[in-house]
Amino acid sequence: MSAPRSLAGPIAALINEFSKLPTIGPKTAARLVFHLLNRPRHEAQALAEAIIAVKDHVRLCSVCFSLTEDDPCAFCTDERRDASTICVIAEAKDIYAIERTGVYHGRYHVLGGLISPMDGIGPAQLHVKELVERIGSEKPNEIIVATNPNAEGEATAIYLSRLLQPLGVAVTRLAYGLPIGGDLDYADEITLAKALEGRRHL
Amino acid sequence: MRLDRVALSNFRNYSTLELALSSGVNVFLGENAQGKSNLLEAIAMLGTGKSFRTTRDAEVIREGLELASIAGTATMRAGSVHLSCTVTRGARGTRKVYTVNGQAVRYAAFLGRAKVVTFVPADLHLIDGAPSGRRGLLNSALAQDDVRYFRHLARYQRAVQQKAALLRSGEHPDAALLQIYDEAIVEIGTELMLARDHFVRELAREAERAHAHLAPHERLTVRYHPNVPFEGATRDAVITAFRARLRERAAAEAQRATCLVGPHRDDLVLELDARALDVFGSQGQKRTAVLALKIAEYTVMRDRNDEAPLLLLDDVLSELDDARARALVAVLAGAEQAFVTATHLPPELQAARRFRIVAGAVEAA
Ligand SMILES: Nc1ncnc2c1ncn2[C@@H]1O[C@H](COP(=O)(O)OP(=O)(O)OP(=O)(O)O)[C@@H](O)[C@H]1O
Ligand SMILES: [Mg+2]
Ligand SMILES: [Zn+2]
Repeated sequence: MSAPRSLAGPIAALINEFSKLPTIGPKTAARLVFHLLNRPRHEAQALAEAIIAVKDHVRLCSVCFSLTEDDPCAFCTDERRDASTICVIAEAKDIYAIERTGVYHGRYHVLGGLISPMDGIGPAQLHVKELVERIGSEKPNEIIVATNPNAEGEATAIYLSRLLQPLGVAVTRLAYGLPIGGDLDYADEITLAKALEGRRHL
Repeated sequence: MRLDRVALSNFRNYSTLELALSSGVNVFLGENAQGKSNLLEAIAMLGTGKSFRTTRDAEVIREGLELASIAGTATMRAGSVHLSCTVTRGARGTRKVYTVNGQAVRYAAFLGRAKVVTFVPADLHLIDGAPSGRRGLLNSALAQDDVRYFRHLARYQRAVQQKAALLRSGEHPDAALLQIYDEAIVEIGTELMLARDHFVRELAREAERAHAHLAPHERLTVRYHPNVPFEGATRDAVITAFRARLRERAAAEAQRATCLVGPHRDDLVLELDARALDVFGSQGQKRTAVLALKIAEYTVMRDRNDEAPLLLLDDVLSELDDARARALVAVLAGAEQAFVTATHLPPELQAARRFRIVAGAVEAA
């Protein structure tokens, strides 16, 4: 669906810009635009400035490739964080999921994607070489590979474990589990089988 | 199982339709291009979530509109279930949403709730057509039968695509990565092969029995022809054979930059009195064998599940001669529920529940 033709230029233009964003379709885009039209000017100004500020001031950390204003980032420079573990994730946004758990206090390393030859992405396109260098210089004890349990996440995790283990570092993966509050009856068979394989002593 | 009601909205040439269906045989009668096959297609989509006529989902949406939906209520052993499938045309492609009892679910949870066996004129080429058609029969039956098969198949195909892309990526593909994809292909491919081996044994038994009724003087045999031959259907035997074959063919795979080994190249072999049907069979012999295979597919699906699948026949009765049509009608008569399209009422189906379809409107006849 494209914006109705009768709408004035700036409205149609903003609907069009919003529709380019992930998870936002044309209908949601139109709702956002009409919402903004009903708000005071300074709110719109603040939104526009925040968007530009993100682009102008946020960059990649040269050590771990997370998004940061200061290079190296706070995760890499905070002395209270445990430098003996590095958690490897596909995308910078995955850091926020792990931080929300509140139980991880080590450092991070963002790969910048997952291995997927179909998309032209091999180890050389990811920050794998930099990870190997960090292991040499920072001498961590453990690398936690926290990629998604899909085909690409699995292949990447296995690749990394075979590459890194010979460097004398322990490589671990996130355990697969059942969703908390979920019902055994409704777990799919593969999740259940993996959860069984990964069972622990009580 | 029995489909009690089906409701369509903007599906192909139907704007809205609400239809109560009977157990036993339901016949959809009408002139050409009125919507008989469209209705059958919609019913099949309630089971498989996919069209049996097209891989482009948007084609089922009524021309010029954006959203098509199919809903149905079925009675199963476990009770009544409400299913729906909605197809939406959007700026970023076509989207499908499935629900079971009003809850949105993923495809894997929708697939196989209502099991269906379809028989369409294109199936008459199952024997002389490409192997992909015969693998399609196995995949469709097994994915509906067990959702684990569906998940394995999806993962397997992904691993094969990734490996093929890696082989095409340059002169020296990353050996460590190639090994990782090969391990995934062996692990998941083995599950597919074991499931197929088991299924084809049952299919063969039923097909040979059905064929003996149709052509008592000829003997049909149906065999699974795995791309990786193995002795004894145990996991270890398959894995060992699979790994050995991959090693043997590694150079050829690298040279041709494609995946040559694994169940994506499996086939079914059909023989009549020990001679290959696709090469030596007459048209009539091939049709009889297809019919036996389809009857067997229905029987095995029914016996495996304790719940009879819906049997859907699009235009096939008119494609068969009298004796073969009678054999099929006998299967229809034994089915819990079946749907048949025809331009003229076949005499054997006088007793069936009849519907007349004219330009996307259906009336009980
Ligand atoms: N997306 C669509 N929107 C509107 N009409 C459609 C759509 N797709 C197909 N049709 C129409 O549906 C009609 C075909 O219906 P269908 O294939 O069910 O015919 P049929 O009754 O099975 O005929 P036959 O006896 O020839 O097989 C055609 O007129 C076709 O133009
Ligand atoms: Mg038709
Ligand atoms: Zn950092």
